[in-house]
Amino acid sequence: MEIEWEGGHRSTYSGEQLRWACPCAECRGEAGAPGRLARVKTLAPEELRVQDVSLIGQYALQIAFQSGHATGLYTFSLLRSLCACGECARTRN
Amino acid sequence: MAVPSREQVLGVLAHIQDPDLGRDVVSLGMIKELEVDAEGKVSFTFELTTPACPVRDRFKSQAQDLVGDIPGVTAVDVRMTANVRPAFMRPKPSEILPGVKQTIAVASGKGGVGKSTVAVNLAAALRKAGAEVGLLDADIYGPSVPAMVGSRTVPEQVNGMLQPVEAHGLKVMSFGLIYPGEQPTIYRGPMVGKAIEAMMVQVDWGRLDYLVIDLPPGTGDASLTLAQAIPLTGVAIVCTPQDVATDIAVKALQMFRKLNVTPLGLIENMSWYVCPSCGHRHEIFSHGGAEAAAKRLGVPFLGAIPLEEGIREDADSGTPVVISRPESAGAQAFTGIASQVAARTSIQSFRQLPVISVR
Repeated sequence: MEIEWEGGHRSTYSGEQLRWACPCAECRGEAGAPGRLARVKTLAPEELRVQDVSLIGQYALQIAFQSGHATGLYTFSLLRSLCACGECARTRN
Repeated sequence: MAVPSREQVLGVLAHIQDPDLGRDVVSLGMIKELEVDAEGKVSFTFELTTPACPVRDRFKSQAQDLVGDIPGVTAVDVRMTANVRPAFMRPKPSEILPGVKQTIAVASGKGGVGKSTVAVNLAAALRKAGAEVGLLDADIYGPSVPAMVGSRTVPEQVNGMLQPVEAHGLKVMSFGLIYPGEQPTIYRGPMVGKAIEAMMVQVDWGRLDYLVIDLPPGTGDASLTLAQAIPLTGVAIVCTPQDVATDIAVKALQMFRKLNVTPLGLIENMSWYVCPSCGHRHEIFSHGGAEAAAKRLGVPFLGAIPLEEGIREDADSGTPVVISRPESAGAQAFTGIASQVAARTSIQSFRQLPVISVR
């Protein structure tokens, strides 16, 4: 998946990277209980492939994976902070 | 004497800057159908981004003066028109509300500060300026729009789509029209979200320049559903000057900021009162609270509205004050605020949202 930001910067994401960053309660855990992503070491290939992306208002993307998992709303600020390009990695460090 | 070229005319018109968009009117594509005839008569269309443009008259006289001063020009004919552009530059129209160019929410956080009165008059003022306007009452529990626009018509269904009700030239939809009289709506939160979605998806809004959405108080289900369902152009926040209202208005504003909805600005309602018997100006709920909050938060202050008996009377009798007594201080305040809202809304037409592609 690729995003071209308002300022022109481009970010590219792999399905694998997005899946492991899923912010939903099931994956992250809630009320002190660890989520699924903290419990598993590997994910099946269909869990890592992006099937569909839809816009939520103008603040987030809902990403559906081929496995059917689609509960994560990825805010644009989360996605911006996940940008893996060299320039962004340098500014983060 | 030789007549000027089209380029010469565009060259001088490029000196006119749009104060809100921060660019010249030629590069913004506002000058259309430019013609220069053999006698030196120049005519063109000046297409504004909103009929409620606050600088309309200034633009016209600037254009006339600048072009009139070019040597060889014998007459200038400027036609002022407006074409509201869709919010945001995007490849395809949104699937929900496809015919609606701009969606403007009116929110306050706190109840009882005059949100619906502001929404109704804002919509009526935009309509009066010449725009096609819809008014969606998103207050499911306490719909006040039907009474304020004097409509008791039950919406009809055509081909499975609810038809909005016409009132004062506005297209109106409200739960108060669907369930009129004293029937309450007793819903839990998720149902409120569904009801608001239905009023967007199952209503035949048609083509609109602006859809004004009157939100209920609070920072919960209704506001969240709306901000998730559609890319709102922006939100105007209403409050009264007292601290207890501005504090909650700030919470509402920050909520919309978190959802990446642009705050168009703050509006101060019940800002002052002129006593009809003594003529003195009283500031019952204090004064200037909204302007101070706007400054602190770095958002525009859109204007202040007086506390007037006429505004209340006309709301109760079903005619917005901007229509019934346009000369009153209250109506003028609403009209000025509508222009400011329209100008702030136009800015959003030139924003490029993130473009997402999946391979």
